[in-house]
Amino acid sequence: MTSKRILNVLRKEWAVMRSSPSNLLYVVLIPLLLTGQALLLIWLVSRFVGGQAVTAAMIRAAPQDAAGSLPSLSSADQFRVLLASQFNFFLLVIPAMIANVFATLSIVEEKVTRTLEPLLATPVRTWELLVGKALSGAIPALLTTWACAGIFVAAVAGLGWGHLLGFVIGPSWYLSLLLLTPAVVAMSFVLGVIGSSRANDPKSAQNIAVIIVLPIFALIGVQVTGLVWFTPILTLILALGIWAADLLLVYTAVALFKRESIVIRWR
Amino acid sequence: MIETERLTRRFGARTAVEGLTLKANAGEILGFLGPNGAGKTTTIRMLAGIIAPTCGRATVAGIRPDQEPERLHEVIGLLPEAPGFYERLSARRNLRYFASFYSNCDGATQAEKYLTLMGLAGRGDDRVASFSKGMKQRLALARALLHEPKVLFLDEPTAGLDPEVAREFRDLIEDLSGEGRTIFLSTHNLAEAEQLSRRIAVVRTQLIALDTPEALRKRQFQRSIVVQLESVSDALLEAVRGFPFVERAQLQGNRLAVALSDPDRDRPELVQRLVESGARILEIGEEKRSLEEVYLSLVQEGSS
Repeated sequence: MTSKRILNVLRKEWAVMRSSPSNLLYVVLIPLLLTGQALLLIWLVSRFVGGQAVTAAMIRAAPQDAAGSLPSLSSADQFRVLLASQFNFFLLVIPAMIANVFATLSIVEEKVTRTLEPLLATPVRTWELLVGKALSGAIPALLTTWACAGIFVAAVAGLGWGHLLGFVIGPSWYLSLLLLTPAVVAMSFVLGVIGSSRANDPKSAQNIAVIIVLPIFALIGVQVTGLVWFTPILTLILALGIWAADLLLVYTAVALFKRESIVIRWR
Repeated sequence: MIETERLTRRFGARTAVEGLTLKANAGEILGFLGPNGAGKTTTIRMLAGIIAPTCGRATVAGIRPDQEPERLHEVIGLLPEAPGFYERLSARRNLRYFASFYSNCDGATQAEKYLTLMGLAGRGDDRVASFSKGMKQRLALARALLHEPKVLFLDEPTAGLDPEVAREFRDLIEDLSGEGRTIFLSTHNLAEAEQLSRRIAVVRTQLIALDTPEALRKRQFQRSIVVQLESVSDALLEAVRGFPFVERAQLQGNRLAVALSDPDRDRPELVQRLVESGARILEIGEEKRSLEEVYLSLVQEGSS
């Protein structure tokens, strides 16, 4: 019964999302634009700026294990590899955004339409409701992210840079996609729930998204400037750290999502 | 079917419901009256297992709402103050979604049954956003009935409906009661409470009174006989006041209101004496106090 209820919540959430075409922008169009933007950046920068001086400075900034295998490549390719290596972090913006949008829309919509009270009068358990809603955002967030990663790899190969993929796709790439991305999805959803508990419209609730998107850009910035290079170990530590933070945030979200809090305090 | 014992709910320093003890029998419509902020919705939420009481206890269909809310929700239906639907989904989709949470409910069949019963079968595929308030209210009642609950909590079901729709709605409630369901009816509409409920509970944080409308009338107001006369003189009024069984007599135009020691016993004697005194009687009957007068008197009493 539990799995059936969760599935029903999930289906309903998707039906509501489908009923408003603008919501699909978040799942389809914006991720594609972000992927296209990353590819364009690599193409433009290596075409117009990819001078020896810039590349050499960046390679020097990168740790030895990241830069050590690059000298066999041309300076333009070295630069492309360095930029493409940021893409796994750049991709994190997609799940952060989608999960947050789903969380805020689905919960704030329940508040606005006042459906939570009749829903809480049915036998559905609060956690079943929360899991159904979380999955309704997590599934498209993960699938879209992985699809964009696939599109990126295919585009890189299609643009004639396939020989560089071996330098880009490694343990850090997989850890980022399989461990870090779900952690970001969970954090984004939970922050969306927390934001929604106090907001009365989806826009106010989505402002919380800034909290999670900005650190992602900071990660990219930190790596590009060479301050920290996310080796597999560091990526693993980062993912586990976010999962740990997720657990703490889940406690807050569950407390806020208790029947009593929803009915009495969510106004 | 519904029993509460010293049921209390506080929100910080504010007490919404205090020491509420009442009982609604199986198959009964219990009217639940009180001014705004009297704790009616809080009581319904406690009985429906949505919020927990601070102290005291309740049982609904033999189940403690605070201990087994999921089991309770299988046997109760709630029509909240605001209907609450996913406006961009169809009426049918909304009903099937809510039905999907009950263990023994064929959502598709039940949704069709109640869409038809509520006169919404032709609009089942329309978005709820296009529905009028009355249609949404009927749809909300359909949702509350999908799993054939034994107990129904109706929180101001006809508020904001036009008189015709409100009347249809009251007929529906009567039909549901006829099917043996216990109905807990919170309302501001006193005529509705009187029409539908055998007994009425008046609350203002605490329970002020619980009885049949007739008993509440008797409790609050002495029974009076009203005599419509062709004409009245001061001498006649004085004569009436002098009758041994008359406790009080008041004149309003040609209408004489008389309080008798025992109205059933003394009424023929009053008629006879009035005629003997030369009065020409046009009409005679018992003064009927409206439930509104009874309610206002009870609420005033409760707040003093």
